[in-house]
Amino acid sequence: MNYFVIGYYALLIGGSCLAAHYRKREVFLILFSLTLASFVMGIVGGENALWAVSIGAGLLALAAGTAYSFREFLILIAGPLTARALRTAPLTAAFGMFVIFSYAVLGIFAPIIAPYGEAEVISQSFAPADENMLLGADQLGRDMFSRLVYGARNTVGLALVATAIAFFIGAILGMIAAVKQGWFDQIMGRLIDVVMSIPSLIFALLLLSILGTNLIILVIIIGVIYSPRVYRLTRAVAGNVVVMDYIEAAKLRGEGMWYLIRKEILPNSTAPLIAEFGLEFCFVFLLVAGLSFLGLGIQPPTADWGSMVRENATLISFGEITPLIPAAAIALLTVAVNMVVDWMLYRSSGLKE
Amino acid sequence: MAKKGNVLLKIEGLRIEAYADEKWFEIVHGVDMTLHRGEVMGLIGESGAGKSTIGLAAMGFARDGCRISGGSVEFDGLELTTTSETDRRRLRGSRIAYVAQSAAASFNPAHKLIDQHTEAPVHYRIRKRMESQEDAMDLYERLRLPNPREIGFRYPHQVSGGQLQRAMTAMAMSCRPDLIIFDEPTTALDVTTQIEVLAAIRDIVDQFNTAAIYITHDLAVVAQMADVIKVLLKGDEVEEADTKSMLENPQEDYTKSLWAVRSFRREQKPRPEESAAPVVEVKNVDASYGPVKVLEDVSFDVHAGMTVAVVGESGSGKSTAARCITGLLPPTSGRVLFQGEELPASYLKRSKDQLRQAQMIYQMADTALNPKVRIGEIIGRPAEFYGGLKGTDLKNRIDELLDMIELDPSKFYARYPPELSGGQKQRVGIARALAAEPTFIICDEVTSALDQLVAEGILKLLDRLQRDLDLAYMFITHDLATVRSIADEVVVMKQGKVVEQGPKDVMFKPPHHPYTDLLLSSVPEMDPEWLSTLLEERGVDNVGEAAST
Repeated sequence: MNYFVIGYYALLIGGSCLAAHYRKREVFLILFSLTLASFVMGIVGGENALWAVSIGAGLLALAAGTAYSFREFLILIAGPLTARALRTAPLTAAFGMFVIFSYAVLGIFAPIIAPYGEAEVISQSFAPADENMLLGADQLGRDMFSRLVYGARNTVGLALVATAIAFFIGAILGMIAAVKQGWFDQIMGRLIDVVMSIPSLIFALLLLSILGTNLIILVIIIGVIYSPRVYRLTRAVAGNVVVMDYIEAAKLRGEGMWYLIRKEILPNSTAPLIAEFGLEFCFVFLLVAGLSFLGLGIQPPTADWGSMVRENATLISFGEITPLIPAAAIALLTVAVNMVVDWMLYRSSGLKE
Repeated sequence: MAKKGNVLLKIEGLRIEAYADEKWFEIVHGVDMTLHRGEVMGLIGESGAGKSTIGLAAMGFARDGCRISGGSVEFDGLELTTTSETDRRRLRGSRIAYVAQSAAASFNPAHKLIDQHTEAPVHYRIRKRMESQEDAMDLYERLRLPNPREIGFRYPHQVSGGQLQRAMTAMAMSCRPDLIIFDEPTTALDVTTQIEVLAAIRDIVDQFNTAAIYITHDLAVVAQMADVIKVLLKGDEVEEADTKSMLENPQEDYTKSLWAVRSFRREQKPRPEESAAPVVEVKNVDASYGPVKVLEDVSFDVHAGMTVAVVGESGSGKSTAARCITGLLPPTSGRVLFQGEELPASYLKRSKDQLRQAQMIYQMADTALNPKVRIGEIIGRPAEFYGGLKGTDLKNRIDELLDMIELDPSKFYARYPPELSGGQKQRVGIARALAAEPTFIICDEVTSALDQLVAEGILKLLDRLQRDLDLAYMFITHDLATVRSIADEVVVMKQGKVVEQGPKDVMFKPPHHPYTDLLLSSVPEMDPEWLSTLLEERGVDNVGEAAST
């Protein structure tokens, strides 16, 4: 028994009592079940287990605090309309925004942040972390941290461009189909069905091995493969908009299709499309990482999270976590994007009140 | 009328707040109400007056985003604001029932009517399932539904709107509640079906001596139904009195203005000479949706500066006729002439100028204006599109149009449609039509979604614009009061055919075509005895048949 263990239990039990006294049901349940769990863990794992719990709780609190301050910061700098929307954001969404913001900074200022170049060999292979290298070296002796920072730029940038292409193709075709209907709609619908029936990873592998792994080809192929989902969604959303009287009024005015799409339909379907953009981005991101892992995506020596996982995979057998760091970077971003998207979906689905 | 019993519902100082923009707003400011057993109270007022909110509060219920913030609701000795939600739920459906405005939206489309009917009594163990079914058939018979023994086994989409509304009333009666709240039960119905529902509701409430709160914005309807009328304005009570004295001698100015709304009349313009060419001629038009024929041999003319009202029940082909004129639905045969020139059947083949000449104003201003475009742009677009106006010219034209519809340009130019009230939106819809400088405007039920006072304002505006700009109107409506106030010529339609047409003066004087007669006599009048007299004349038992012939 030392002071840490006594303080640990005192804090938990005191907290539970306070929560029970002020009738905070959820807080009490969490705190008290944690206390009970800690008894078991303390006996089984000893003091170390309790340290792990405290550190976990501390990190969670830190993340919550960061998210809260970041949201308040955004509310302060945003315009009144955006600020009102931001106030409804839960902490998870704020945390997601914070993570996305950090990745963006990392990607944009990669050359300034990274201490070494992405292809620069500075040490022997698999060198452990020291004062020069934050996370150690990879299989060729390149700085892991620098490659991670450059990877943010390459992998995220590529995924972003590919998603944008998917949206451009899918959304425009979807809206045209909604406006035109008739044979165009039918033909597009069946075509999309065909593309969607082939699993995306296999389709991408097939096309890449036929056309070669060029960065531009890669982006276009991913964009095309993912556009059918966007098409389906846009077609459905725009289908609900085209039946509105204001579309009829515009048609009777003699407006062309392009005007209808740009001025009347698009502004009324942005909310679900933005939410879908977030979701699609995650899928595309994972596909890019997956392709790189298989060696068909971004080619060396360009840093990329997917190929970084593969190249350092051998280290796992030695109990090192290094190859898991880029994997964690991928996971964190997808989770963060999904947190923001969840909030947007919630808002656009009209479940607000 | 009904015999008064002891006090059933007592509401005192009721305050209700709603949550908007992160603040709680009070929307009902201390309303009192006392309802005795067997008494029917009419709640009237414009939209936003808090009628429905108060009606729901009588069940101890507040909508999502609303809360009861003060006062007491005492139902048969039980204080509803403080009892637990479980206890309140036990009351609802069994002792207090609610009949919603749209029965079509309130029934579950996946279950048969009778299964939905028996749900509450079986759940509360008031009746066994089979007993409850027998009871449902009995109630259907009392409510004069056709085939009372079979109609319950249909699905909601298999019966008509008026029948559905009666089935809903039967359902509310299933547990023999002490109190029923009717929330605008006939607003969505045609005048002819409205009568059946009104008569049915009145009878059944009378037979079981049930107390009722009848919420409506239609004075003539409430005059038929209620023993006591309470007038509400913006969450405050204006006045309360028994029906007779309220109708004969309203005390407050606001009540008087409500009573006076229906008095707007415009002089009928002289008929144009035979030789004068009409602006729009519809000649022997037939139209169909797929194999279903919806218009048959429809012909009428619209002259410059005149208003032609097209009346009929829903499904009579009024709006389809408009779609044929605009070219959205090309007629299968027949022609549409504009200033003596034949228009191409489809709008896609019409020239920009032909499209400009005929404009449309829609029923639902909510869906007729793009919610993501500023008012200035909505109005400016036709002027820009047809007139090629740009920059300052365009801005001046928009200001001029906003002035015309009596909205302040500096205030409304940059706003978005959702920030406007219903009447203001409708005005913007009018301005958009005017911006094209048309000669002919189709008004499709433009006032039916609006409160009476607001609707009157719109009618006056349309009338003024017609005089100033010499516009021809085709006015589609099912409301004969509107026809009476604004029309010059009347076209009566039924099942896709023109039944009768002629100048308004002639049309409103007997002899009528039997269908016109039915329409005219079905419009509720302010006289509280009107419904009884009418039912007597028609013979109570065949109201339904009379309406469906």
